[in-house]
Amino acid sequence: MTNLFNAIAGWGVNIAIAMTALRTNLMRSILTTLGVMIGVFSVILAVAVGNGAQVSVTQQIATLGSNMAIVVPQPDSGSGPPRSTDRGRLTERDGQAILRQVSGVSAVAPQIRSSVQLVTPGRSATTQATGATPEYGIVSNITASEGRFLSDSDIGAAARVVVIGQTVADKLFADANPVGETVRINRVPFKVIGLLESKGSNLGNDNDDQIVVPITTLRQRLLTTATQGPDDVTLLFVGFIDEESLLLGQQEIKRMLRDRYRVAKGRISPFTVRTTTEIAETTGQVTQIFQAVLVAIASISLLVGGIGIMNIMLVSVTERTREIGLRMALGAKRSDIRNQFLVEAAVLCVIGGAIGLTLALVAAAIFQKVADFPAPVGLDTALLSVAFSAIIGILFGGYPAIRASRLSPIEALRSE
Amino acid sequence: MTAPLLETHDLVKDYVIGGEVLHAVNSVSLTIKRGEFVAIMGASGSGKSTFMNMIGCLDVPTSGTLLLDGIDTKTLDSDALAEIRNRKIGFVFQQFNLLARTSALDNVAVPLIYAGLGYSERRERAQAKLEAMGLGNRLQNTPAKLSGGQQQRVAIARALVTNPLMLLADEPTGALDTQTSLDIMGIFQKLNDEGITLIVVTHEPDIAEYAARRIVFRDGQVIEDAAVKSRRRAVAG
Repeated sequence: MTNLFNAIAGWGVNIAIAMTALRTNLMRSILTTLGVMIGVFSVILAVAVGNGAQVSVTQQIATLGSNMAIVVPQPDSGSGPPRSTDRGRLTERDGQAILRQVSGVSAVAPQIRSSVQLVTPGRSATTQATGATPEYGIVSNITASEGRFLSDSDIGAAARVVVIGQTVADKLFADANPVGETVRINRVPFKVIGLLESKGSNLGNDNDDQIVVPITTLRQRLLTTATQGPDDVTLLFVGFIDEESLLLGQQEIKRMLRDRYRVAKGRISPFTVRTTTEIAETTGQVTQIFQAVLVAIASISLLVGGIGIMNIMLVSVTERTREIGLRMALGAKRSDIRNQFLVEAAVLCVIGGAIGLTLALVAAAIFQKVADFPAPVGLDTALLSVAFSAIIGILFGGYPAIRASRLSPIEALRSE
Repeated sequence: MTAPLLETHDLVKDYVIGGEVLHAVNSVSLTIKRGEFVAIMGASGSGKSTFMNMIGCLDVPTSGTLLLDGIDTKTLDSDALAEIRNRKIGFVFQQFNLLARTSALDNVAVPLIYAGLGYSERRERAQAKLEAMGLGNRLQNTPAKLSGGQQQRVAIARALVTNPLMLLADEPTGALDTQTSLDIMGIFQKLNDEGITLIVVTHEPDIAEYAARRIVFRDGQVIEDAAVKSRRRAVAG
């Protein structure tokens, strides 16, 4: 008990000596601390942004809808960019076939995507239009927060009606209620029948910057280039009743499409069928790599901070060689001298780490507010970073400290 | 008859400089008993300081034996030597060697840190030693706010704070004026009267006359070792 008390008191003395030494060279101490501070700051922020990206991706996948497969008329290019020259065809009839023949399918939502220009008196906006059917709302969990979503009669009549996203509404109508208003889409007047429920934004991708019109209307009135066939679509969303039928259904759709388009054995299918689960996994991997790269870059600044500590500690040992000799003459053991300098380095780092952590918390909060991007800093990250900076101090302060402790008392005492 | 405090047998310290071996201390054998007041004299380069560093356990001999309080220092590792310096030896230096920007009280308390004493005991003992040196009203002064004589008295208080067996002083008056030097020698004589062993290295013959025994070094060897005739007494200031 007494030993423990003495040990604690001994470290207390070392901290007191360290504080005195650091105060003596205040400017130098501050600059050295700055290095560690920036290092810890960037590491924490990198971890937070990485975490935020993962959260964001999870949300994004959730907005897509679960238990869904996406069929696009492109050969599967893995995670690389699609090769547009290899585009095949996909039609509404393919969708109907899938609904009829594949088991466990709850709904199929054919879509045509096209970029359009919207104009209201005095305002305009360019956005992506999705030509869809009511099934799009079911499969993708999309509803109207004001007014209504598309109905079957809108499709049948190729009605000039549009459901717009919040961002588009803000651009075209500012604060006014858009429902019931008229907007010209590629010069064709459309009636706004509803406002899409906001899905926020993920990774800088605004989910509210889109409009939905009946697929029939889009095909007849808005497409600038003619499609190959009368019922061609850009893609199909296929909703399944559960995850099991989704996995089975994915293979079944692939087989079926090969048959329908008579793709020879051994040739690459011109269709890609992806499930939301797969997309979640791929994107998850991408964000993990993104986070790893971010943290690696940030770690370099922490490393540089550590080298700064080492540099200053070496200078400090050289400057105070005589003091080291004196302390040895007065009875300091090698371990006492070593600990004195270790504590000095650790104090520098922990102070730097604490300030860096505080700044990172503030920056993460600002980031979240301004960029609308979640950057959560967990308690584990916080504690880890402070512990990490102390370890940096001990690692990089270790060599100078051991060098100091190895000095011969008489040579140290004689130095000028 | 108690065991001698210090005993050396054929003590040698060699330095190799530019490929040549220099015998800084060349086969010195002598004995210093408890309670002696010894002056070690010699020109610079005579080996007196090297000898002093070895008996202070700051430097290790090349060969020969050094018995300190009956212990053969050859058998000790660096930690044990540090403990001997802490418990049994008090050092006084020519340039005082006080920690700058540190109060007199904290300076005197430094050896007690390494002795493992707690905060309040360190302060009490340091304060008592400073008061004994007549510096009771200078406890919080930093070295910059003390005269040379006061600084040397702080250094003496620091040397005494662990109640060592002997005081080793290397040119303790070298940086002081005549009157202050006299004061310091007076303090040494008083401490010696109280029983502490004193070994003072000096190159000034009149300073050596305050000691009881004079050992003269030349070329690494002892050329004279005798009691001081007509010893001077100084009144402690």
